[in-house]
Amino acid sequence: MTTSDDRPTMIEFKDVHKYYGDYHALRGINGTIRAGEFFSLLGPSGCGKTTLLRTIAGFEGISSGVIMIDGKDAAGIAANARPTNMVFQSYAIFPHMTVEENVGFGLRKDPRSKEEKAKAVAEALEMVGLKGFGKRAAHALSGGQRQRVALARALILKPKVLLLDEPLSALDKKMREHMQVELIKLQRQVGITFILVTHDQEEALVMSDRIAVMFDGEIAQLDDPETLYRRPANKKVANFIGTMNFIPAEILSETGDKVEIEAKGLGRVALDIAQAPAPAGEAPVVGLRPETLTLLYDDQKASERETEGLIDEVIYLGDMTYYDVYLGGTDVEVRLSMRNVPGRPVLEVGAKVRVAWSPSALVLFR
Amino acid sequence: MAATPRSEARTGLKLISPTAIYVILLLAVPLATVLVFSVMMGGRANVSFPVTLDNYAKLLSNWAYSYILLKSLLVALSVTAITVVLAYPVAYFVSFHVRQERKSLWLFLITIPFWTSYIIRVSLWFVIIGRDGLLDQALMSLGILSEPLNFASYGIPAIILVLAHAYAPFAVLPIFVSLEKVDRSLLEAGQDLGESRFITFLRVTLPLSMPGVIAASLIVFIPTVGDYVTPKLVGDGKQPLIANFIETQLLKLQDFPQGSAFAVVSMLMVAVVSVGFVLWNKRFIGGQK
Repeated sequence: MTTSDDRPTMIEFKDVHKYYGDYHALRGINGTIRAGEFFSLLGPSGCGKTTLLRTIAGFEGISSGVIMIDGKDAAGIAANARPTNMVFQSYAIFPHMTVEENVGFGLRKDPRSKEEKAKAVAEALEMVGLKGFGKRAAHALSGGQRQRVALARALILKPKVLLLDEPLSALDKKMREHMQVELIKLQRQVGITFILVTHDQEEALVMSDRIAVMFDGEIAQLDDPETLYRRPANKKVANFIGTMNFIPAEILSETGDKVEIEAKGLGRVALDIAQAPAPAGEAPVVGLRPETLTLLYDDQKASERETEGLIDEVIYLGDMTYYDVYLGGTDVEVRLSMRNVPGRPVLEVGAKVRVAWSPSALVLFR
Repeated sequence: MAATPRSEARTGLKLISPTAIYVILLLAVPLATVLVFSVMMGGRANVSFPVTLDNYAKLLSNWAYSYILLKSLLVALSVTAITVVLAYPVAYFVSFHVRQERKSLWLFLITIPFWTSYIIRVSLWFVIIGRDGLLDQALMSLGILSEPLNFASYGIPAIILVLAHAYAPFAVLPIFVSLEKVDRSLLEAGQDLGESRFITFLRVTLPLSMPGVIAASLIVFIPTVGDYVTPKLVGDGKQPLIANFIETQLLKLQDFPQGSAFAVVSMLMVAVVSVGFVLWNKRFIGGQK
């Protein structure tokens, strides 16, 4: 993960709206994607992420607003003239052509000689790990190979932006994890802006420099993966990315940069204003990730705060154990996760425990 | 109790036996008869049995006979070409520009001409292209012609026109099916890779729909080579094609051996052209997976 604040802007959305008849698919998209960035559009199906990607590619027009690509308004530029290339969800490999012909498809108007083009095709195939596959028929390839052909076919044209529409969703789990790492490496190697559409939050966290989380045609939060995870802007984002416990709370006072609350089962806590994203007008709750809560064994002491607890459920996963624990004699139940390391026996249901936590790990939603 | 392969095969035979008997009696037996006749001697009804290839020799050495074969072949190929070229845009329109739920309605409309007997449809062409028909009236009232054209009497062109119209729906359907199978994201990929819509059509859609085009060609070519009714009615019957000639030989002159040899040669001709189409199709078949 790199800080990319100093990089120039590659794509800029200014109040982009898109209607399909009465259906409002994109509802005022704003934001910038920087050059050389691995950017993800993350959201559940139907949130508009693929539509947004297709507006960049030029396959969908927009109803209002502006999309700037590399400093130019994209409105008048047809899909075949944009400096973008796409890896389709279905890969869209031309079935009547060989691997070579597929990869070289976009080179027809390239002024280079036949030999130079063939060399470029061979290099592109080598880059995606398909050296020597050029003569194969495209319809005889496996899913992973098709995807590599699709990548080579797009990258050979040296686009400014590579668009990836759920490229890994058709692969099995092992292959997917393998390709995630390969895509990251490839992106670093070519230095092109990658924009990935995915519904898989883990995939987005693993691969991206920055992520735009989308719900119902709007960007709910645009941040780097760590900020998204640690400081989600609202409950919806918090729920979509990882697991979060929500504990009812009461706001006692708010002064400048501090908010003092009383959280059920945790007691009084003073939070920094940075831990309280913009109010949404909801009943206040504090959020806590499971790994920020720790069970204390024997004579261990909490470095910051600790609370009594009662184990309600034990979920053993091998390397980890999840415990559902009632906090401080209340009916507030939280899930916490512990690594199973020597000296930490798995505890039983009904055991009385002490739970350590840190006020700085809390996020206040109100 | 699982059915053994043998009892499955027996059930299969039972299921196809009515059709098989029908085909053997009404197709294979007459075909064998024709083959046997074609190597026999004699005119009229007094055929006799020294096996001979004289009938074939006569057929190939007599220019009038070869002319009829070639003419029929050219008419059928022209009809095929015209029909496919006209049917492709229709199939393309229905596949790419008609909303999904309307497509079956469009296909239904395309098949409407089949509701009428072919003879009636041919006769109706006379209303348009016959003497003082719509075409003549229009051309004369526009001052382009002073005398009726009577296009229907123009033999070959009129036969081609009528046949091409009759077989168009047959050609639309297979092309439509092959266009439906073309993954639409391939067309976006073509544009994404820098090609215009038209070049994408030439490089992606057209090659992928070739199996449909070839199927359509076969469906049109095979029956038009042997068409009997159209040359009989259109062009004042002055341009007999293979079928009319065979009829003359077999039924009017009762020269069974010569007529049979003619039938065998025309069958071979169709077979050769069809095999050519099928081999050509093999080039594209891989892409249909």
